[in-house]
Amino acid sequence: MNFQEILTYVTLVIAVVFLVRKFFFKKKKTDKNCGEDCNCQ
Amino acid sequence: MSKQNINVALIGNPNVGKTSVFNQLTGLNQQVGNYPGITVEKKVGFCKLPNNINANVIDLPGTYSLNASSADESVVIELLLNKKDKLFPDVIVVVSEVENLKRNLLLFTQIKDLEIPTILVINMIDRMQLKGISLDIPFLEEQLKTKIVLVSSRKKIGVEALKTLITTYKTISTEPCLDASSIDDDYFNTLRKTFPNQSLYKLWLVITQDVNFVDLNRKALEKQSFTKTNSELKKLQQKETIKRYQFINNTLKIGQKVDSAKATDFRSKLDRVLTHKVWGYLIFFVVLFGIFQSIFEWSKIPMDFIDSSFASLSSLTNQNLPPGAFTNLIAQGIIPGIGGILMFIPQITFLFLFISILEESGYMSRVVFLMDKIMRRFGLSGKSVVPLISGTACAIPAIMATRNIENWKERLITILVTPFTTCSARLPVYAIIIGLVIPDKYVFGILNLQGLTLMLLYILGFGMAILSAYMLNKVLQLNCKTFFVVEMPNYKLPMFKNVMITVVEKTKAFVFGAGKIILAISVILWFLASNGPSEKFRNAKTIITSKAENKSLSVLEIENKVAAYKLENSYIGLMGKTIEPAISPLGYDWKIGVAIISSFAAREVFVGTLATIYSVGGSDNENTIRNKMATETNPKTGEKIFNFASGISLLLFYAFALQCISTLAVTKKETNSWKWPLGQLVFMSSFAYIMALIAYQLLK
Repeated sequence: MNFQEILTYVTLVIAVVFLVRKFFFKKKKTDKNCGEDCNCQ
Repeated sequence: MSKQNINVALIGNPNVGKTSVFNQLTGLNQQVGNYPGITVEKKVGFCKLPNNINANVIDLPGTYSLNASSADESVVIELLLNKKDKLFPDVIVVVSEVENLKRNLLLFTQIKDLEIPTILVINMIDRMQLKGISLDIPFLEEQLKTKIVLVSSRKKIGVEALKTLITTYKTISTEPCLDASSIDDDYFNTLRKTFPNQSLYKLWLVITQDVNFVDLNRKALEKQSFTKTNSELKKLQQKETIKRYQFINNTLKIGQKVDSAKATDFRSKLDRVLTHKVWGYLIFFVVLFGIFQSIFEWSKIPMDFIDSSFASLSSLTNQNLPPGAFTNLIAQGIIPGIGGILMFIPQITFLFLFISILEESGYMSRVVFLMDKIMRRFGLSGKSVVPLISGTACAIPAIMATRNIENWKERLITILVTPFTTCSARLPVYAIIIGLVIPDKYVFGILNLQGLTLMLLYILGFGMAILSAYMLNKVLQLNCKTFFVVEMPNYKLPMFKNVMITVVEKTKAFVFGAGKIILAISVILWFLASNGPSEKFRNAKTIITSKAENKSLSVLEIENKVAAYKLENSYIGLMGKTIEPAISPLGYDWKIGVAIISSFAAREVFVGTLATIYSVGGSDNENTIRNKMATETNPKTGEKIFNFASGISLLLFYAFALQCISTLAVTKKETNSWKWPLGQLVFMSSFAYIMALIAYQLLK
């Protein structure tokens, strides 16, 4: 496997992890200034 | 007679001329004080009143209600609840203005319920004649249980009468306007039993405030508030507001007459035209058409520039970087994918520029008012207008904005129909398809067909939202009504700075919000399109070369055929071919099918996906996305893939389908159930499929 292929697979893994985190493990904001109804959470 | 010192608090909504009244009362005898622990400015002035009375006049920050949500609003409530404060008022003067009495009276009724002597000042009475307003003062005084002074601080009318009235504050009724226990009998009875010597409304205010007070200790009360959760308390606050507006509406129905025929000033004349039941809609239609036409006309040159720049960048990358998988990923995956979103920046910018100008100028409030009339005919609350209009930017904040609709069924209906409104993510899909299948022609010399189609799609989305709401309303048997208050601001020239800030913020959100997703999807799509599981993929060159042996094909033609063959046998090609039977009746090939599936992450991904697939499937990196789409043909029939029938079918599919995973997530969050988002998904997708099918089968 050459350097370009390694870079490609690394980029691919980053992209997959990003999408999985984005859509399946969304982080909850914990801004103490946000109330329940302020639309910022 | 000995001198008497009293405290007079001036309270009112912002921009009612409160400070002008303060200046009239105190003249130059005022000082600005920052009090310990408070960074928000409040002013104190001194005023000599008749009967040897001296008054400390306290000008408090403007607030819309006593439901404090910010520090400056808490200054007002904290003073009014803290009898130990040296500035605790003996009498409160609530300043209102004659043009927005309804809104101003909400604050008045809340203050009145604190059982402190309260005087109502109606300011700006010099505009009464202009606005055709007449007031039945004795009736209003009786209903509001107060004394009213008509003031024009600009023309110095009524100030002396106010001074005299302040001196008689001990005779002013302290009876509340609203019986606090009517908000929730059980809850307030518990409160009454726990704190028998306290004013119920004061207790209620202390419990429900969002902010922490500086001087007022409410720890002792907090345990009582545990009997209700925060959201239950919020609901009761909303119920309180509705009850107050019911009272205000009933009072003003008799106490205030507005003769619009007498309204002779420019704003009223303009309002009468812009909110007219015929002219209002016609003007709105013309404004909309102008906007959509301009979006197409003005965006052409910058869009072409961005599109061709990315095509050149892709070609340059291919030529200058060392050959290999990563170079291909950048040239065929990332650059076309990102180009597919950035080329729509001009159109998005113009869209938000126009929306921002309409908002800044005050016209949007008139549109909301106009739309409210339509909403009510279809059984929806006026409050549904705001989410539906703001849905033109994005359905997610629009769905969250439904939180201020008290009635659950109305809120649910609004949540379910809001995704029909054409959001900015649909614009790239509409723009590219319209550009491909609708001729750039003018009818009657002024009507551009492309602009007209775009406007019709916006109207179609809005119409479908209302129609669905009507059907849901019938099914869910909605009976409750809520009140809708919209402030009609004065017309003004939009401030350049405000407009620019809005445009930049919204465009940034569009690019960066979807941009990261598109980038990630482009990488994955490129990988799936550049690799395949079978021997056919790996031996594509040998297979095509052997097939082309007897044909006189150029090197470029063979290269293109190899690329197309590899794409068909790649992972993405095999996936696309699997779903092709389901979408071919709509006029789509497998590549469009893949774009539709990937655009479920975000609608804008559709164009980026096609850009990536076409880049991998051809050897020509210099061609623009639009040219690639325009020249794409069906290998079996030789017909263009993006023709009039398939184009209209795609437009209708995207107009009705719920192609947005984030919308589903936010609907789940807001309804606290998967039942509603899944129902929404099934209904919208099925409807979109059927409409697209009908359109293609009729037009092909």
